[in-house]
Amino acid sequence: MSNAMNTHLSQEDFILAYYRELDASAHLAGCETCREELARLSRVLDQVTPAEVPEPDDEYESRVWNRVAWRLRSEKKRPRVNVTRWLAVAAMFAVAFVAGLLVNRRDTTRPEQPQIAQTTPPAAKPAATKTTEQTRDRILFVVVSDHFDSSERVLVELTNLTPQENTDFSSSRARAEELLASNRLYRRTALDRGEESVATLLDELEPVLMQIAHAPEDISADELRRIQKRVETKGLVFKLRVVRADVRKTATPQVQQPTI
Amino acid sequence: METTDNELVERVRGGEDDAFRILVERHSRPLYRAAYRITSNAADADDVVQEAFLRAYRAMASFDARATFATWLHRIAINCALDLIDSRKRRDGRIADGEDLAMIASPAATPDRVVLSSEMQRAIATAMAGLTGNERTAFVLRHFEGMPLEEIGEVLGTRLNATKNTVFRAVKKLRQHLQPFTGSLV
Repeated sequence: MSNAMNTHLSQEDFILAYYRELDASAHLAGCETCREELARLSRVLDQVTPAEVPEPDDEYESRVWNRVAWRLRSEKKRPRVNVTRWLAVAAMFAVAFVAGLLVNRRDTTRPEQPQIAQTTPPAAKPAATKTTEQTRDRILFVVVSDHFDSSERVLVELTNLTPQENTDFSSSRARAEELLASNRLYRRTALDRGEESVATLLDELEPVLMQIAHAPEDISADELRRIQKRVETKGLVFKLRVVRADVRKTATPQVQQPTI
Repeated sequence: METTDNELVERVRGGEDDAFRILVERHSRPLYRAAYRITSNAADADDVVQEAFLRAYRAMASFDARATFATWLHRIAINCALDLIDSRKRRDGRIADGEDLAMIASPAATPDRVVLSSEMQRAIATAMAGLTGNERTAFVLRHFEGMPLEEIGEVLGTRLNATKNTVFRAVKKLRQHLQPFTGSLV
């Protein structure tokens, strides 16, 4: 900036002056044009007031701690394979399925190979292997689709509950906890594979499942309302339906045209 | 006497998770407010708070007490919020949809300020949503939180000049967007 009276302040100087990051008082004292311009900027910026932050309730701190502690416990237990043995084994199979699913799904989106590659018999996979992979892929898609389906049912049931004191929440809670373990593994795999739409949905689903899994069995009306609002705000049920339909479509076996 | 944050950090480093609980309970509310101002969404602010504490726990060894624990945690939360905004924008531009705008445009007028019309509130919300993650964060920290530019640069990981330019861009965009509503005032 220049303090010379014959050189006006720049637009950047006005912004700095407004935030008191620049002392332009000497120049402003003798320059009416700049004083007016700063006043105009001030009138605009003074209108920009922060959105009102909804104050969390009195239990907010303990709720945050419960979720953080739950995550930390999960992380600490992870190397020893957490939850229950059967769930871990099931989840590992599921991850293998999803990994295969995503790899194969990506392959189907790649551009066609040059004709020569398609007509070279030695490069082609043996027919039996190809059939096995196709069958496995369909199973994999069904696994992901089922996960979305189960999650959707939990969320729909939850949003249909009427908030009242001491609602029995144990069933939703238990199912959310089971889904949560698989959800994490699917999400990590999807991220690794660059499957953004699947990863995005799983990413949004995870904290909600966690909140449900960690809610008390006899959930209070307020807490239930909070979870319902969260599900609605994120539009999760709708998103689950859309992505599940997409996954199902991909999972549907396509009729192969006979090669002439 | 209340245990200081630094004492609690030392205890966490020593393996006392109960000490971390005190830190979480002490700082979650102010962190939520800061996260909400950036994300403009209660559920997202919740996620940011949770993620910030998890990152802080994992990085506890790197906290060197040059800044206060609250400032350090605040920076982590802002980065979490920025990650969230960026990933949303990258994925589907959701940050600008009507749902989020409706939440941003909550009544903000206070008795000592000019009462804003609903159109003006919507314009502010739209203008804020149109900023990039960095611009929005820099503006929120400077305009609402009163954080000095140097400190904002530390949060964003940018040099002072770059930080200034980010704030300049944010202000210019807002001003341009609000011009039709403030024309009578200027």
